[in-house]
Parts: sequence; C-alpha cells; structure tokens
Amino acid sequence: MRVRFWGTRGSLPVAPHADAVLAKVARALMIARGRSFADQDEATAFAREETEFATHATYGGATACMEIEADEEAFVVCDMGSGMREFGVNALRRCAEGHPRLYHVFLSHPNFDHVMGFPFFRPAYETGARIVIHSGHPDAEAALRRQQEAICFPVPFETLRAKIEFVTHPPDQPFEAAGLTVSLIRQAHATRGSYGYRFERDGKAVVYSTDAEHGAEDMDAEGAFETFFAGADLVICDTMYSLGDAVSLKQDTGHASNVVAVDLCHAAGAKRLALFHHEPNGSDEDIQRMFYETLRYEELVRGERPPLEVLCAYDGLEVEV
Amino acid sequence: MDWRLSNDGARLVAQPAGRVDEESWKDFSARLTAAVHEAVEAKLPLVIDLSGLEYMTSKGLRVLTMAKSEAKGAIVIHLAAPNAAMKRILAISRYNMLFPVVDRVDQVGG
Ligand SMILES: [Zn+2]
Repeated sequence: MRVRFWGTRGSLPVAPHADAVLAKVARALMIARGRSFADQDEATAFAREETEFATHATYGGATACMEIEADEEAFVVCDMGSGMREFGVNALRRCAEGHPRLYHVFLSHPNFDHVMGFPFFRPAYETGARIVIHSGHPDAEAALRRQQEAICFPVPFETLRAKIEFVTHPPDQPFEAAGLTVSLIRQAHATRGSYGYRFERDGKAVVYSTDAEHGAEDMDAEGAFETFFAGADLVICDTMYSLGDAVSLKQDTGHASNVVAVDLCHAAGAKRLALFHHEPNGSDEDIQRMFYETLRYEELVRGERPPLEVLCAYDGLEVEV
Repeated sequence: MDWRLSNDGARLVAQPAGRVDEESWKDFSARLTAAVHEAVEAKLPLVIDLSGLEYMTSKGLRVLTMAKSEAKGAIVIHLAAPNAAMKRILAISRYNMLFPVVDRVDQVGG
C-alpha cells in the first residue's frame, strides 16, 4: 500500500503569505553563505539536505484528504477536505491512462473541513464515474447535499453526473471495499462524534484516526483505541493541540494531542505514526517545532519498547507501507 | 510506581517514584485523589515531588488535570523538582503552563 496526503491541515484551509515565503528564501540564502551551484538540481539538493523542512518546504494548507493506493481497481480516499480538489485533478489524469473511474471515500465525519472539497472534486462532474461514500454517520448525504444548496454553492448536488452512493456502516462490523478489509471505531468529537478507520490488506494495516478527543475524564476508553491501532504499520492521528491546550482551552472541541498519539501507538505496538490535522494558526516553524517535540517525547517515554517512527504529514507526502 | 505522602505542617508532599505510565496511572490517580482530599481538609498546598520520577506519560499528566478539578480551586497543586526528562515532558505538553513548577519542595507554603 502507498499512502498519499492531499490535505493535512485541520479546520480551515490556509496559505502562507508572501512574507513567509520571502523569509524562507532569505534563511536558505543565509545558510548557503555565498555558495554557488552548477544548476537548479544541485541547488535543490543543497536546500533539501542542508536546510530544515520549514525552510525549504511547507506543510501545506489544504484540509483533510488522504489517499490509499492499494488496488488497481478503485481509488481509496479518506475525507473530502479541500485537498480533494487536487486529488480529483490527479485522479482524472490517472483515469486517462486507464485507471477505473471507481472511488471509495471513507468519511470521518461530515464537518465542513472534511467535506468542503467535494463540490470541487472534478470526477463528481463526470458521467461514468462511480463514487461510493462510506460513513459512520447516516446523514453524510444530507451534509453533502446541504453544502451545495443554492445559498452556499452555484452547482446543485442533483446535477452532478457521477453515480454517487452512500453506505452507512455500524462500528465493529468489518467490511470489504476496494480490496481492503475495513473496520470503524467511534471517536469522541464535539457533540456528534467521528469515526476512525482501519484498512488491512496482505498483512499490512493503516489506521486513519482524525478529529478524535482523548480527554482526561475517560481514559479507560483508550483501551479500545489501543486494540484498534494494534500492530498497525502506519497510524495517522489528529495532533492539532498540545495536551495542555487539549485539556484546558480547547477541551470539548474534539481534538487530540501529539503526546496522546505517541502513547496510544506505543501501547498498541504500532510501527509508524503520522502527525496530521495541523492547527491552521500554526506556521511551518510551529508545526516543525511540534514535530521535533514529538520525536523527543517518543524517546523520553519509549521505555524498553522498539522505537516508534514519527512522521509529520504534509500536503504531497507519500508513504510506502 | 512507588508512593509516599507526608505532611510537614506547611505543605502536603506527595512523592511518586518510578514511572507513571499505562501500567501505573490508575494507582497514581487513586493516590493523588486521596491526597487532594487530605490537602483540602488540612488547608495546605499539595506539592508533588517529582524528583523520584523517571517519567510520566500523557495518562499521568491527565491525572494531574483531574486532580486539579477535584481540588475545585480550594488548594493549589504544585509540581516540584522534575528531572531533566520530566522538565521536557512538562514543556512539550505545555503542562508547565497549567501547573506551577518549582525547583524545590520547600519553595511552596511555609
Ligand atoms: Zn477536522
């Protein structure tokens, strides 16, 4: 399996201002200290190797959308945040090369940042495309239709040409889709909850668990997550806030922290953790600092366990599982 | 995790030792809740002496949050003498913004 991140930001799409890009260029020039490069490739290699990620790149600003490439027969996508627009453009290109026009979409919950990309998803406008939207919430269809009502959007849902189906799944009942065995877990998220997904194929497992709050009051409930994450090759977790913020200022907003994500992965014996659903107020430097802190925390509390590999997801990241 | 609790008249001092992690957090929670009640009763600040603690994971940190709400503002819970690892954990989790952290137990009360 290959996991491809199309949108990694939480809550609201963001983009760096001109000043932020200028600061990156200036920092890279300072690090280069007058060095000269034979060509663009050599300069790129220098930037990649000799400067930090937040200097030579960006975590991106599109909201939650992640693809799992598992089966030649269908596209598999988690969530329909604003990153889905770019995924759609890419998918059409792959369809032109012969990929079947079947899409299985797994929705964590129908909050705006997780569905806002759908009206801009070009395959939805294509006759002959089939889109199956899997959800734990029975009203996922109502949410998608509502955001395309005339008061919000010029193109009504009814006029989309693709064949669009909705399937509601109860948690704890695994099912097969797109060559994957899929199971759901109910997660605490504001008043309506959200769902995490575990995808398995050929002995490999990927878990997508975003918009999940793990509060102080009900820590016993985390046993279910440790089981759900058990032995996973890659766990994608919402790590929007520091734990201190998650239990105070941001309590009940429905999000997790980097340290809880590490602890759950440690207890579950997971192999890799991808930090996801980045705070929209966070600059690249802020997100990179949170990433470094997570690496440090993992080391400090690892105990006798094997190391957990921690990645910080960014728009465009591909991970081989 | 080992645990000691002492009252020196100026403060109630809780001394967890070892690790507070997914194995020991429930024990830590039960003992800390009892210590909060004792401190409230005695109208003394509660100091958690971290000097014997190797580290605490997020479950232990969240137990601190529960203890704070259990105290309902009647007493202040202080964290004292964290080792280097605990200092980092308190900074990474931003718990150093939620609890007063001091270098020595005797800096509280008295
Ligand atoms: Zn979200």
